[in-house]
Amino acid sequence: MNNKNLFKKCMAMLLAVVMLLAAVACTKDPQGDQGESELKGHKDPKNYTYTTYLTLSPSNWNELTYQDNNDTEVMGWIGSSFFTYDFKYDENGEIIPGEFEMEYSAATKLEDVSAQYVGDKWGVPADSKGYAYKITLREDLKWENGDAIKAEDFVYTMKEQLNPDFQNYRADSFYTGATTIVNAENYVKQGQTLMTDNSASGKYTVADLTKGADGVYTQPDGKPIYFALTTPLAWCSGSTVTDYSAYLDAEAFAALQGKADANGYVAVTDETIALVTKLIDTDNWGHEPPENVPYYMVYEYTYAAVDFADVGIFVGDTEYEIVLVLAKPLNLLKDDGSLSYQAAYNMASLPLVHKATYEANKVAPTEGVDLWTSTYNSSVESTMSWGAYKLTSFQAGKEFTLERNDNWYGYNMEENDGLYQTDKVVYTIVEDWNAAWLKFQAGQVDGIGIDVSIADDYKGSSRAYFTPSDFVGSLQLQSNVEQLKARETAGINKSILGNKDFRKALSLGINRADYNTKCTTSSLPGFGLFNSMHYYDVENGGVFRNTDEARQVLCNVYGVDASKYASLEEAEEAITGYDLAQARELLTKAYNEELAAGNIKADDKVFLTFGSGSITEAVQRRCDFIKAAWQELAVGTPLEGRIDVELKDFSTAWANDFRAGAYDVCMGGWTGAAWDPGYFLLAYLDPGYMYSRAWDTANTMMEFTMKGVGENGADVTETMGLLDWYACLNGSEGAKYNWSASALEQSKRLQLIAALEEQVLGVYYTVPLQNEFSASLISYKIDYVTYEYNTFMGYGGTKYMTFNYDDEAWAAQVAAQNGELDYKN
Amino acid sequence: MYMFKYICKRIGLMIVTFTIIFVTCFVLVKLLPIDTSVGFGEDTSKIIAQFEARGYFDPIPEQFVRYIKRIIMDGDFGIGFQMPSYRGRPVWDVFIEKLPPTILINIYSSLFAVPIGIALGIFAALKKNKWQDHVISTAVMVFISVPSFVYASLLLYTLCFKLSLLPLSFSSFQHIIDTYPEKNFVYTPGTFNWHLYFNKEMFVSTLPAVFAMSFGSIAGYARFTRAELTEVLTSEFMLLARTKGLTKAQATTRHALRNAMVPIFPSIIGEFVSVLSGSLVIEKIFGIPGVGGLYLNAINSQDYDFFMMLSGFYLLVGLAAGLVIDLSYGVIDPRIRMGAK
Repeated sequence: MNNKNLFKKCMAMLLAVVMLLAAVACTKDPQGDQGESELKGHKDPKNYTYTTYLTLSPSNWNELTYQDNNDTEVMGWIGSSFFTYDFKYDENGEIIPGEFEMEYSAATKLEDVSAQYVGDKWGVPADSKGYAYKITLREDLKWENGDAIKAEDFVYTMKEQLNPDFQNYRADSFYTGATTIVNAENYVKQGQTLMTDNSASGKYTVADLTKGADGVYTQPDGKPIYFALTTPLAWCSGSTVTDYSAYLDAEAFAALQGKADANGYVAVTDETIALVTKLIDTDNWGHEPPENVPYYMVYEYTYAAVDFADVGIFVGDTEYEIVLVLAKPLNLLKDDGSLSYQAAYNMASLPLVHKATYEANKVAPTEGVDLWTSTYNSSVESTMSWGAYKLTSFQAGKEFTLERNDNWYGYNMEENDGLYQTDKVVYTIVEDWNAAWLKFQAGQVDGIGIDVSIADDYKGSSRAYFTPSDFVGSLQLQSNVEQLKARETAGINKSILGNKDFRKALSLGINRADYNTKCTTSSLPGFGLFNSMHYYDVENGGVFRNTDEARQVLCNVYGVDASKYASLEEAEEAITGYDLAQARELLTKAYNEELAAGNIKADDKVFLTFGSGSITEAVQRRCDFIKAAWQELAVGTPLEGRIDVELKDFSTAWANDFRAGAYDVCMGGWTGAAWDPGYFLLAYLDPGYMYSRAWDTANTMMEFTMKGVGENGADVTETMGLLDWYACLNGSEGAKYNWSASALEQSKRLQLIAALEEQVLGVYYTVPLQNEFSASLISYKIDYVTYEYNTFMGYGGTKYMTFNYDDEAWAAQVAAQNGELDYKN
Repeated sequence: MYMFKYICKRIGLMIVTFTIIFVTCFVLVKLLPIDTSVGFGEDTSKIIAQFEARGYFDPIPEQFVRYIKRIIMDGDFGIGFQMPSYRGRPVWDVFIEKLPPTILINIYSSLFAVPIGIALGIFAALKKNKWQDHVISTAVMVFISVPSFVYASLLLYTLCFKLSLLPLSFSSFQHIIDTYPEKNFVYTPGTFNWHLYFNKEMFVSTLPAVFAMSFGSIAGYARFTRAELTEVLTSEFMLLARTKGLTKAQATTRHALRNAMVPIFPSIIGEFVSVLSGSLVIEKIFGIPGVGGLYLNAINSQDYDFFMMLSGFYLLVGLAAGLVIDLSYGVIDPRIRMGAK
């Protein structure tokens, strides 16, 4: 009996322990339990809703005409890709940071068929690669309504994309960028009369022109030709003659301006030819010879009619094959026939519209308008999806929702089993960050960017993650000394900014680490024009900033003696960009030089205007920091107590006003072309883009030796203007050498990219301060597959997103927390 | 008859004023330089072709005639071209879809604020210089001094977030459709969609904004009413009314209030008209898809069609309101006769 009782007691205790363990196992962590949910993906029967917000509403997610990032928010869900990036995994199934794999998605095969289209019709050179491709589509591609998608749909869409009656906003994606389809530009511009750059086409010399009875030269067919003062010209690297007027003959320029019409065109006559000859014959312009005069002309050109059959896109041998013939080669395939990174970058997809819906949404021109428009993809009724999700509701300015598109081919793919767990996506338009922040804490939004106001409390949260950006925030210092002088008043000096040592002192006087801690949520100190997001060799994961060449540049610019360190990497890590002692020495030296030259008086105050597009709390904080740093810099120098900075609002014209010399300092930088640092230098060397526009990059000479690029691997030493070096680096027309990415190994191009970066940093017009990182919080409801940012895959997106709670459980969880979730820990 | 003549004259002047201002707006906005800048590596000629095809480079008088002809013949006010969120959308459709929430929150806030404000003002006037008056006057000063977006933020944080008594944002149509499936609601883009606004769920979602907009108005009406009524209450005719045997309440309601309302009533109409333009900040904070900010954004984006349609609408409403306010004086106080000599 006792044994029985003991047995019963033991069983009861065991049962109690088991129940307790079961209860513990079933209880969710009140603040979320990451990684606990099973990866059932799109087959999971429960309901999973991802909620997010935008500050502005999308209005037009038509691939042919979309204009901003809000529009692409919708496009990303309702479209698909031929080729995609995916994570690369190691033998243990772990994601390899920073690496990627290429995969076929809506396409099943990509073949280089250039050899089949060699000849005059398509202009494909013999023995060439990358000019023509055949894309074979999956045969189960469908629209959300079940209609089949075939190659002819892509061809129809391209015809509509280039339809001259529409002048679609995205038409130029197929003739100005990397993907240039043969005759695309001619088709879209057919019938149009445009002014064409003579320097780009090289069509006419003066001898080719016909002189009329009135002394005005015309084209041989009688159509007009002009000198262009305000039109971007290829000969001026995309800038205008007016942009460069400071380097040209002032008298001739003024005379030509006097003869120009409202469009900046000047009739070509013997007199104006003589004026242009004089205009370009200056020291600063390198004394261009008279035979270059036609390079400053534009001529009227009417595009002839083009049959769409002559445009380089058509259906192949089967109804699932698209053939694409390009005017410029693209390396979509590697030598072994596998997909290169460019396949998903330059040819992720072609635009696609649902023919019946598109035709039904065409809008004929109205009174006084010659343009057809379309309302396709601007409402639920006019939207058709071939992506993983379809649009199910849309209220402009308020909310839109997307739900799973069961007709998407991807759900039939085995590799997507366990993925795409999200059933529904709800976007709310919330303009006010504080309102969004309350919604996030109330469980109504699943992610939010961390604002500076809450950064201290939430940066350390277990739900915080940090996303790098290719944006380098830099201080831009005014380069136009004439304008600086013009804005000086009694007792106020600004032109000292023209002294390089002064600018260098300003750079070394800023504690970048402190700046980023106090003025940004999570950015890191920036020292170069490029950061860790700029790849010089994408295929092999080559990050420019991690190369010896790039590291040496920063050591040189910031005065770190690399020989004192075990490696360049260690030397680079020692850079802080902050050296108050040296900065004060430079400040004193610059001041004494300017005083001796009579450019500043002994009692003048240096008063700098810090301009911005708006004056927000963040901008004010930054300006205050810079002002305090520079006033601290002046302590113990002759400028002690004599440096002041004011903040001024220049609204939307802030960038152009700065370029025009209207104020002294601004924060600016560039994003884009992160995988082509050689091209990206355009932003810092071409006056069309530069902030420091008065810095003459065309005539700033650099002597440089390119190693191993000559015949038999010999070195090439040249002295050229920076813009000419840039032209060589990118193989531009008229460049002395072609060292473009397609002509020279990336490892060799590195040396020139680094040299040009050093030149830009070395003049201190651009002073990098921050490598931008954004900090965000993710809801307890969801998890990304990785929190280590991958350039190609981000955090894995919706494809890999997993849910810790279904909709019902989440509502219960939020209610249990009294509608207020704590994200501090 | 003189009233009829007066109205005709005012309408005639209204038309002249409207035409002059409207034409001036059109000319001025068209004189602004057209921004044909494009992004990194894009084709400028494509943008220029777009502007050209829309006739933006044609002479301004020609453009104006076409614009007016389009409105009269087709009722076409144009489509959004430059303003983000509204590109390619008919400007009239956007406007009428966004107008109801703005009108509703303003009507609700007026219905809430006017009686409370006037009641408090009357009470303060009747208790002039007593502690009740001091309390009300102090509260009025506080509420008038604090901008509405401060109330908005406080209300959002306390009532909507901390206490969860009201929703954090204005309800979406989809939410209404999902909440009342039995009513088979349908949302039609580009129309007023009034049927979706009159239900409990939508009404409750307007309350935070209504409260935020009301506080300042309540204080304003209370102060105005108190000032007017105090003055009227000390008038000689009030003494006469009392001496002829009316009680204080009778004298106040029959004589004092009616006289005090002469300047107050038109101010109510004026406020209602002014709020048709919406409150940029309130709408932003509570996620109300109204017209607040539309006009400002149209100017900033240089979206001609939006700018002209909104300019015309607000100009017309403003001029009509002026006329209605002037006529309302006669309704409140029969002694006032507009146009009478």
